[in-house]
Amino acid sequence: MFITLKNATKKYGEDESLVYALDHANLEIEKGEICVILGPSGSGKSTLLNMLGGLDHLDEGEIIVGDRNLSGYKNYMLTDYRKEDVGFVFQFYNLIPDLTVAENIEVVSDIAENPLNIDEVLEAMGMEKYRYRFPKELSGGQQQRVAIARAIIKNPKLLLCDELTGALDTKSSKTVLEFIEKINQLYKTTTVIITHNEAIAKMADRVIYIKDGKAQENRMNPEKISASELEL
Amino acid sequence: MNLNKRYFRSIKSNLSFYISAAVLTIMTLFLFFMLNIAGSAIWEFGDDFFETQNVEDADFTTYLPIPEEEIEKLEEEYSVNLETQYYSNIETDGVTVRVFKKTSEINLYSITEGKDVEKNDEIIISEGYAVFNKISIGDLITIGNKAYTVTGFFQRPDYLYMLQNDGDSYKNITTFYLAYVTDEEYENIGGENCLYFVCYNKDNQADFRKVVNEKYYMRTYISAKENMRIDMVKMQAEMFNIISYIILAVMPLIVVVLVSIVINRKVKSEQKLIGTLTALGYKKSKLMLHYAGFAMIPGLFGGVFAILFTMIFAQSFGEVCLADYEPMRIKCHLNPIAAVLGIIVPTAMYILAAMRSVNKLLKKDTVLLLNGNSEQGEKNFKNILVKNKISFRIKYALRSLIGNPSRTFVVFLGVFSGSYIALLGYSFLDTMDNTKQNMIDGVGKYEYQYVLNELVEESEYGGEPVIMSTMENKAGEQFSMIGTTDFNPYLSLKDMDGNDISLMDGYYITSVMAMLQKVQAGDKLTICNPLTLESFEITIAGVLDNDMQNAIFSNKENVARIMGIEENVSNVIMSDVALNIPDSKIMQTIKKADAKEQFQNISNEMNVMIYFLIGIGAIVCVASIYVAVNMLVSENRSNISMLKVLGYRDKQINRIVLSVNHILLPIGFIVSIPLVFASTNWFMVFLADFIGALPKAYIAPLKRKSGIKMDNGLRSCPEAS
Repeated sequence: MFITLKNATKKYGEDESLVYALDHANLEIEKGEICVILGPSGSGKSTLLNMLGGLDHLDEGEIIVGDRNLSGYKNYMLTDYRKEDVGFVFQFYNLIPDLTVAENIEVVSDIAENPLNIDEVLEAMGMEKYRYRFPKELSGGQQQRVAIARAIIKNPKLLLCDELTGALDTKSSKTVLEFIEKINQLYKTTTVIITHNEAIAKMADRVIYIKDGKAQENRMNPEKISASELEL
Repeated sequence: MNLNKRYFRSIKSNLSFYISAAVLTIMTLFLFFMLNIAGSAIWEFGDDFFETQNVEDADFTTYLPIPEEEIEKLEEEYSVNLETQYYSNIETDGVTVRVFKKTSEINLYSITEGKDVEKNDEIIISEGYAVFNKISIGDLITIGNKAYTVTGFFQRPDYLYMLQNDGDSYKNITTFYLAYVTDEEYENIGGENCLYFVCYNKDNQADFRKVVNEKYYMRTYISAKENMRIDMVKMQAEMFNIISYIILAVMPLIVVVLVSIVINRKVKSEQKLIGTLTALGYKKSKLMLHYAGFAMIPGLFGGVFAILFTMIFAQSFGEVCLADYEPMRIKCHLNPIAAVLGIIVPTAMYILAAMRSVNKLLKKDTVLLLNGNSEQGEKNFKNILVKNKISFRIKYALRSLIGNPSRTFVVFLGVFSGSYIALLGYSFLDTMDNTKQNMIDGVGKYEYQYVLNELVEESEYGGEPVIMSTMENKAGEQFSMIGTTDFNPYLSLKDMDGNDISLMDGYYITSVMAMLQKVQAGDKLTICNPLTLESFEITIAGVLDNDMQNAIFSNKENVARIMGIEENVSNVIMSDVALNIPDSKIMQTIKKADAKEQFQNISNEMNVMIYFLIGIGAIVCVASIYVAVNMLVSENRSNISMLKVLGYRDKQINRIVLSVNHILLPIGFIVSIPLVFASTNWFMVFLADFIGALPKAYIAPLKRKSGIKMDNGLRSCPEAS
């Protein structure tokens, strides 16, 4: 298994306002899979992504990603983990507004140990001709493609996507998902997509359903279709 | 309105900004209030004291004594108050006491502590000396061979600044003091010296002086405004007031601009909220009032605390500022109008800045505000170096600097103003030090100037005889006139280009005199002998490179003619070594070492003020940088968190986001240097009017460090980590 969660628990608040964002959750994801995590709002999806991405610490339990057990990691070790192994794509792109497309990608390639070629990644994302544009000069879909390019430039072992189509129209969403699929095929990157859009689950190798901080369902998707066939 | 509940929460979450902005406001107002209060208090004290103690308009000495009955006649004829002051200088164990016979009309003394003398073995002494030497009432003091009991301390209006000799420029309260004994005891002591005090009641000075000179031959004449012992008090008050108004003109402007820019950007950062509130139906006026409330906080708090601190420290600050003078009972209090203005002006400026920003934002499309895109369509410089191959870090840094001019300006202004204030303090000290070390020696090689009681044809004691006299211009401003030869080995007579000059060409004025009298080579100048009041028009042959003496140099023949003496006689002997001239023949000995010591003393006495300035500069610098760094961090919050997510370490993030501003540290510092030079020069020009010398502004290179390391500011900012 590439990702293993054992009794992962994350609490917020105290006493009466105590909330379990993750409540002894257990799950496993294989290397190279596209895994879609579904669940209603407040189910713990984003907390799970934060834990997988090394953005936060668990209160109890274990998270193992590849050969790393993140549970005992100190902040600087999580920083290294994020730098070396994880790529993030967020709903609102989170590009740096004062940097161009190419420069936003350079932000990551600059600290990556074996980054991919920026030109190749831009070409793969269909963004080559926009390399000198600033984020505000791009559409939402284009910005999200830049965010994906930034995430994969380091050739991460794990690509985490948080509601990556949440701010996009149907057409752009489909394009973005096609790129995610393309990357998965090209680089065999384990990809975790968190969404509340069940249609996206159809392109996944594995679907996990989260509710009340627990993985209620973790199943393979034998009827996987390509992103281009999705009906969003 | 419910929206106003945000005030408390906003203060809590932006505490560092409110504190820094309030500290800047406090420092600025505090500095102004302190200096202004001290200046006004000294001025008021001087005015009152001079009036109640009947300070002289002038004092003079004559070669022939004026008989008492003649004094009455002169008073009646010229409507003046004229009084003789008898005194005796007695040296005991290296300490000189000037014992006065009591006067009844002019320059009356005032008992500041204890009681007046009643018995012949009692004495009252000048308070400054008593305080400095820890002499208490009841102590015994020995003068000559007799011991006296100190019954009290006093002050005299013509000795508020305790100069031992007329030519001195710095006080002496260590080895010189004044004293009164009973009239009977004074007769026993035997007063051997006398001078005359005069107060004019009509505009007939010239007539009076002429007649006195004709009948009794004036030996010296010095008006109160030329008398450092009297005029220094008002000069000090004037200096404090001028500095306070410079501070008032510069500092609040800097602080208001700085805080206003930050408020402006804070309002801008709330554009989404402003857009939302507009969409919800909030009126422009309500929103403007709401943000005015935020802006009011630092102004109000700053003003109130500045007043509070001023009320606590003003009195002690005023007294520290007067350490140079006899202990004056000044009353330092804050003018209520100034206090109210101190609160209202900065608060109003901050409110206006906030309202202006909100007003500007509300002119934008609400949709743009809701999306946080109010800057859309505005010209900026963020698009530079797009196709350049240099690292994104450099591009980010440059765009951050150039693309956010107001933010960059805030950082620059903080560093600049802090460096300026601190460096100004050091510059004063260095200038005094340089004057002492280099400028005084540049005037000539002589170490001693013996002013003789008599005219001599040649010096039998060695040295170089010269003619020296005090002269006046039409306005009564005094300067020296020196007659010598081109071969005087002790003088360095060079023009402004460094070329040797010949005194045979006529009258040369020193560079400081050229500045003070506003005349140049070729100009005509009317000078007047203050003793005879005879006027002469001279043509200036050239300007000597000499900023240390307010003087005219010429050949002996010219000077002798103006003084009305033979050209082959002299009244001063210059020498590089001490000469064995009998005391009875010497009126005054002027030592170059004393002049140097006086500059050293000025420098020492300025230390309190200088370190006060340096401290204020450091606080202003730290507070400004703190405000700027907070702004920088809060405006880059999303970029910083994204860089953290992407795996950047804190140090790397600091380097990318904050370190770019380090470049502003040397820039701010370097830009402050010429302005510090200009300000110091300006201050020295002001000082030149009083001391008759123009010390050149000087900052010792590599000797001292100034400014605050921005690293400290950055490190001290919790949000940066």
